[in-house]
Amino acid sequence: MGQGGEPRRVQAYDGELGAAVARAQEGDETAFAVAYRLVQPGLLGYLRGLVGEDAEDVASDAWLEIARDLGRFKGDGAGFRGWTATIARHRALDHLRRQRVRPRSAALEQDMLDLPGPHSTHDQALESLSTEYALELVRGLPRDQAEAVLLRVVVGLDGPAAARVLGKRPGAVRTAAYRGLKRLAHQLGAESVTDDGPRTLGEST
Amino acid sequence: MTGEDTTSDRDGHGMGDERSGDAPGRRHARAEETPRDSPLEALFAAALRGEKSDGEAELRAVAAFRAARDTGAHRARTRRRDDWRPRAQRRRARSLKATLSVLLASLTLGGVAYAAIGSAGGGAAKGAAGGKDVRPSVSASTPAESHSSARPTASAPAERPPTAKDTLAHCRAYEKLRGRGKALDSTAFQRLVTAAGGEANVSAYCAALTGTGAADAKDAADAKPGQQKAKTSAPQNADKNKSKKQ
Repeated sequence: MGQGGEPRRVQAYDGELGAAVARAQEGDETAFAVAYRLVQPGLLGYLRGLVGEDAEDVASDAWLEIARDLGRFKGDGAGFRGWTATIARHRALDHLRRQRVRPRSAALEQDMLDLPGPHSTHDQALESLSTEYALELVRGLPRDQAEAVLLRVVVGLDGPAAARVLGKRPGAVRTAAYRGLKRLAHQLGAESVTDDGPRTLGEST
Repeated sequence: MTGEDTTSDRDGHGMGDERSGDAPGRRHARAEETPRDSPLEALFAAALRGEKSDGEAELRAVAAFRAARDTGAHRARTRRRDDWRPRAQRRRARSLKATLSVLLASLTLGGVAYAAIGSAGGGAAKGAAGGKDVRPSVSASTPAESHSSARPTASAPAERPPTAKDTLAHCRAYEKLRGRGKALDSTAFQRLVTAAGGEANVSAYCAALTGTGAADAKDAADAKPGQQKAKTSAPQNADKNKSKKQ
């Protein structure tokens, strides 16, 4: 693990994904389905962060394009995740442009207050962070941080690949991801994340 | 907390500074499938990725794949944005492409240059060097790569006496240009002059060539300029036509 600056490259299924993509490019539709199943969860998570509940529709559009352009793609499993994320992102931005809705709506802040508090129970927060809650937290971040975190954590891209998807410099993306994660940790309740023993009070954040 | 130190070490580029690190978070993270650098990331990965993909959407995607495959869309060309090979590999592919195009360009230009040498310098040079030495020395001085492009011109000498035609052309040009401009300083004319054995002899040399015709050009070229004066009376028009036909 973690050789060089690419701890992200160790995705265990990248080999499998790369092989499936290669077979799909030769026309094997079963292999394409395999690739779909490997990639779709991360892609969908990323899109949820970008477009909320329309993520499935946007993902569907993205997959049409992926299926159509698969012959053009060159690369391995990790590369395929980056390539598909780029396509999904373009579809998501198109979608947002059509909707004229910013991915981070002001309503989210209010929703967050209604959710179970950051440290309601230590176990709950850490063992079963609900999809909705995680999503709200991520979408509460500034857009560049949210995207950097999602690409890194959910899609599983390494720094350079995430930077390529976003069309930014790797350094900027790394900083954004770092800040985003730090903020998430803070919002989750720093004490419950850093410490084994739950601290007494619920005052933080 | 000791276990978490390795986590942030691995994360040397500074993203894993959450200092977090709970066994529960880690356990929850389906670590065997997507190893995460910190429990916090694992937590979010698990929460946001967690969903089973919906079968209908998959079927739609596969159907689109099939349609694209069957209509040949998968043979489309790779654009730059489709190339996600590791950077080193990409660079290698690109530099190979660049090398090939440079090579191709140099072959093309080299071929043009060679052809120019062949038509401009060949005849006169032959006269100077007296025979077959000339062409080998030209091709020997060209780099090895340009052999392929050189071949068409190199094969030409076998079919005709090339120097006659070339020299005739130079002679005609010489007649037109004599005393005007700098064209006569050019290498080709210098060779012509050398071959004739001095500027004064050029007219005689040319006359000798046009007199004897293309078939005898070799002999003429080898002959001493002085001797060629004897042949000046040959019919010029016939030879012009002859050389045009060639």
